[in-house]
Amino acid sequence: MTWRPFHAVVEREMLKLARQRGRLVAQMIRPLIWLFVIGGGLGAVMSRQGMANYQAFLVPGVLGMTMLFGAMLGAFSTVYDKESGVMRLLVIAPVPHAWVVAAKIVSATALALVQGLMLLVVLAVLGYVDTHVSFALLAAGMLATSLACAATGMAVATFSGTLENYAVMMNVVIFPLFFISGALYPVEMLPQALAVAALANPLTYGVDIMKHAMLDGRAGTFAGAELGLWRDFAAVAFFTAVAAVIACVRFTRAAACEPLIHPQSRSRPRPA
Amino acid sequence: MTTAAIVAAGLTKRYGDTVAVDSLDLSIARGEFYGLLGPNGAGKTTAVHMLSTLIRPTSGEASIAGHSVLEAPVRVRGAVGVVFQEPALDMTLSAAENLRFAGLLNDMRAARIRTRTAQLLELFGLAEARDRRAGSLSGGMRRALDIARGLMHEPEVLFLDEPTIGLDVGNRRAIWRHLAALRAQMGITIVLTTHYLEEAESCDRVGFIDHGRLVREGIPARLVAEMGEYVVEIEASQPQLLAQALEARFGGVAIEGNLLTFRLDGDPSRAARLQSEFGAQVRALRWRRPNLNDVFLHVVRGEGVRGERASRNGARNVDEAHA
Repeated sequence: MTWRPFHAVVEREMLKLARQRGRLVAQMIRPLIWLFVIGGGLGAVMSRQGMANYQAFLVPGVLGMTMLFGAMLGAFSTVYDKESGVMRLLVIAPVPHAWVVAAKIVSATALALVQGLMLLVVLAVLGYVDTHVSFALLAAGMLATSLACAATGMAVATFSGTLENYAVMMNVVIFPLFFISGALYPVEMLPQALAVAALANPLTYGVDIMKHAMLDGRAGTFAGAELGLWRDFAAVAFFTAVAAVIACVRFTRAAACEPLIHPQSRSRPRPA
Repeated sequence: MTTAAIVAAGLTKRYGDTVAVDSLDLSIARGEFYGLLGPNGAGKTTAVHMLSTLIRPTSGEASIAGHSVLEAPVRVRGAVGVVFQEPALDMTLSAAENLRFAGLLNDMRAARIRTRTAQLLELFGLAEARDRRAGSLSGGMRRALDIARGLMHEPEVLFLDEPTIGLDVGNRRAIWRHLAALRAQMGITIVLTTHYLEEAESCDRVGFIDHGRLVREGIPARLVAEMGEYVVEIEASQPQLLAQALEARFGGVAIEGNLLTFRLDGDPSRAARLQSEFGAQVRALRWRRPNLNDVFLHVVRGEGVRGERASRNGARNVDEAHA
């Protein structure tokens, strides 16, 4: 086995990203809006109550958000690939079909990492990243977050046949994952039901690693990391493995594969 | 070591109660240009997808270049190039980028990808379009690029599933010119499916498939020769009546709407005389050499009860041949 098919899939994803600068700018603006509008507004309210520096708490959260969106949209592009014909190219390649799933997860991870790094640069320029930050741990946290989100996104994508489901998934998968995680508020402050949901969310653990990297040993923030580092990494590994296995099983099952290559089962009218 | 590029034995695919492909037996030699012919929905595409490992057969076995589609699907995919009915291209990438993507997926080295890309773009008349986005190419160029994509990794067998579907006459001819050049230069085994039967006359061998079953196989010229010397077509005002009168003299007369068709050996002026004999009943009369459409109509009509549906498909093929 060889790395070239991975190279192919990742290279294509990067080429497309470089050509869709609008998409990149949008992905940078969303977290900044959260940081300045929500973070600024809520932070001001909270500082009146004597709670300090909500914005600093939110920085790992918006980093996680960017990678969540980047990885999920990258993984959901599989659905677009099915419609556009690229999937036909992938399934006819002389690699096991599980490798196609792995390559898509790797490329979605890479996509998320690129966007996360770009946001990190923007945040550094704006003065939100200081020398207290443990950069090695932050890099590990960003990688873990991207990977877990990419695998989860890929598993979800294998359950979606058409682009109509795409927007639905955006609302029923990405937003809940973002809101019900430790990105916006500490998990321990959530009501019981939401706290349980947050602990079943891979993003919670990825963001917690980044909180360790950015907030540990730093005085005067509203809240810090809540879970142990090893628990975070183990949870990320667990969610990634389970999601990847689900995606592989779904994808390699002939029944899941056939609608996209078997024209008779497609509803689109064809020229006679 | 066998010389066959493709062997299939009892290859069958069922979807619930419908049998898409019914125990197909094939043996296609290396370098052969084989046409799998039949109406839409006959099972041609399903057969190609089973041979290229994209669909798992319900029963039966097949091997490509000595590799079993059941036991070594990855090897088979390395040995075949597949051009689907719908393009397998990324419309946002350029022509050259699409070929590079396909080359990398097939584990080719960068240098090899470059030389192969240049060679294929040249062969398919796309050298000028190398940096244009696939989405901005015309239908014919896009199809040519898709075929080049299928050939990137120098497959031993190329499957072309309806390569000219949806193309206008000029583009269809261009695709055929490219394929002829390809065969001359690379000596590759090609399996073509098409329902434009006149396109299959350059095949070394053709097989007619209907309702999933291979109903006739042979060399096109020989199959056509078996149809007799001439085919007479008469446009009749009362087709049933005239058919009865002709049936006694000429044997089997096929009726499609107002059009009567029958075979004729010997002096074609016997047909010409029918005009004066039947007068106004004969609105138009012509005779011509038989072609693969006639073989097709004959073959599927021989299937008894199925004849009606098949002849409707056949009739459309006749129309297209005349268009």
